[in-house]
Amino acid sequence: MNTSENIKNKFGSKIKKFEEKNPRRFYVDISPSDIAAAAKTLFVELQLRFIIATGIDRRDGFEILYHFSEDKTGKVITLRVLITDKEKPEIDTISKIIKGAEWIEREMWELLGINFKGHPNLKHLLLRDDWPEKNYPLRQGEGEARKND
Amino acid sequence: MKILFEFIVFPGFLFTAIAGMVFSWIDRKVTARVQWRQGPPIFQPLYDFVKLLIKETIVPASANSVIFLLAPLLAITSTTLASVILWKAIINPQSLFVGDLIVVIYLLAVTPIAVILGASASGNPIASLAASREMKLYLAYELPFIFSILVSVIKLHTIKLGEIILSQQSSGIILNSFSGVLAFVIFLLTIQAKLGLVPFDMAEAETEIAGGVFIEYSGVPLAIHKLNRIMLLFIIPVFAAVLFFGGNFLSIIAVLVLIILIRNTNPRVRIDQAIRFFWRTCLIFSVFAVVLATIGY
Amino acid sequence: MSASLKLKALTKSIWVFHAACSPCNNCDIEILDLLTPRYDVERFGIQLVGSVRHADALLVTGAVNKKIVDRLKRLYEQAPKPCVVVAVGNCACSEIMFRDSYNTCGPLDKIIPVNAYIPGCPPKPEAMIMGIVKLIKALRGEK
Repeated sequence: MNTSENIKNKFGSKIKKFEEKNPRRFYVDISPSDIAAAAKTLFVELQLRFIIATGIDRRDGFEILYHFSEDKTGKVITLRVLITDKEKPEIDTISKIIKGAEWIEREMWELLGINFKGHPNLKHLLLRDDWPEKNYPLRQGEGEARKND
Repeated sequence: MKILFEFIVFPGFLFTAIAGMVFSWIDRKVTARVQWRQGPPIFQPLYDFVKLLIKETIVPASANSVIFLLAPLLAITSTTLASVILWKAIINPQSLFVGDLIVVIYLLAVTPIAVILGASASGNPIASLAASREMKLYLAYELPFIFSILVSVIKLHTIKLGEIILSQQSSGIILNSFSGVLAFVIFLLTIQAKLGLVPFDMAEAETEIAGGVFIEYSGVPLAIHKLNRIMLLFIIPVFAAVLFFGGNFLSIIAVLVLIILIRNTNPRVRIDQAIRFFWRTCLIFSVFAVVLATIGY
Repeated sequence: MSASLKLKALTKSIWVFHAACSPCNNCDIEILDLLTPRYDVERFGIQLVGSVRHADALLVTGAVNKKIVDRLKRLYEQAPKPCVVVAVGNCACSEIMFRDSYNTCGPLDKIIPVNAYIPGCPPKPEAMIMGIVKLIKALRGEK
């Protein structure tokens, strides 16, 4: 059976919305607490390749997209989670399952302020080491913008 | 007084420096032409030297400044002495002493040692990495170098440089025999490493380790190091001409052209590949050449 | 020897060090273009060196960001004087669209003193050669 039916069977009730954008692009919405199990399913059981994760600050919360690729057919399956708590955004880390996700989660933490629970090394990656605390540049309306001189 | 004149002006420091600059210009111009470029004007090595003299000399704080600053002087003194001995042998073959060939080999060996000392004294970890490469390379190429020189000594039954030149003028150059050709090929490969040219320039690699052995040098010490390399580019073809061609002037140019050709057609090799090449291939062939020379071929 | 005489002697053989402050790399590609046979700056005596201690000119590309500004100042101090600084590309000259960013530190001449500006995104190799010629003329005191 093909991949989308596989996913629907394995995830079952965890899927909030399943969208097929075009024959090669699928978006699967799940809740933030299910992300570790979902990533394990996709990475270990279905043997998909993790491409990258992207985060954005929306009006109703922080949205993180995890992109997985099936190299044999060229399909890209994206897991979408929405973290509604904007005061203290938290989510489980997937770097214990996928080692390659460590750095992108560091980048999302330092630029958006999302705390990844269980991450082994949550330090600055792109910004300098003595960046002021609680200053997350990519949040809406924030960032240490330089004053015009 | 005469000794001082010979050491400083002719055939010592000034003569070797000027001739070395001409050879270095030939090298850069031929390289540029082979790459379909124009190349620098003739006084470019002189401009480089003068420009380095006017820059300030910076000694790193963690460096041993005495050894750091004296190492280039050591290198250039020994190279000048080797040049004096070689040219006196060519001009006046009777005027030197027994064993002057051994003295020249020792003097040419001081340059890598001085470079290693200076790089280790500079306190930079990249320089120590490059110094270790230079050490390993030196231990690899010195033995085939000496064996290929031994072929000339064995065939002519003498160890005086003057007699090597005279015997070749009377009995035919070394290159006429089979062992001579083999020894010359091995000699050519080892002097690529001695001069620090591609494919064996991993100690001074620019793109890879940011300048290598010379990374902390600036100003006058760097000018002396560069001048030393230029003088070696002149002296070593003269040495090859004395050993294998009997002091023929045209052969100096021929050896220089061969060095430039090898330099322009090869990539840089890794240090372990170079060591394997010298200890395996070059050593076996040079021992074979010595055995052939002893038999009489 | 006076400073201007030293700068004059420098103009016949300039050794260039490429200090790239995380640019988009277009300007770096165009700088390497200058060494190819089509433009060939070695006939002016210009060579690319690996160590900053051998450098006479620092070619700085990219908009300087807060992570690299300390290292750039240290690089400038490590180059033996007399040394000239050339800002290559729009990002180093004036920062164009990155001027209100959270991570940048201002145009290059607010950080280290600059002798020549070569604008362009990226500047053509002909523009870079023109910049070099104007710099050499200015160092020699001609107009």
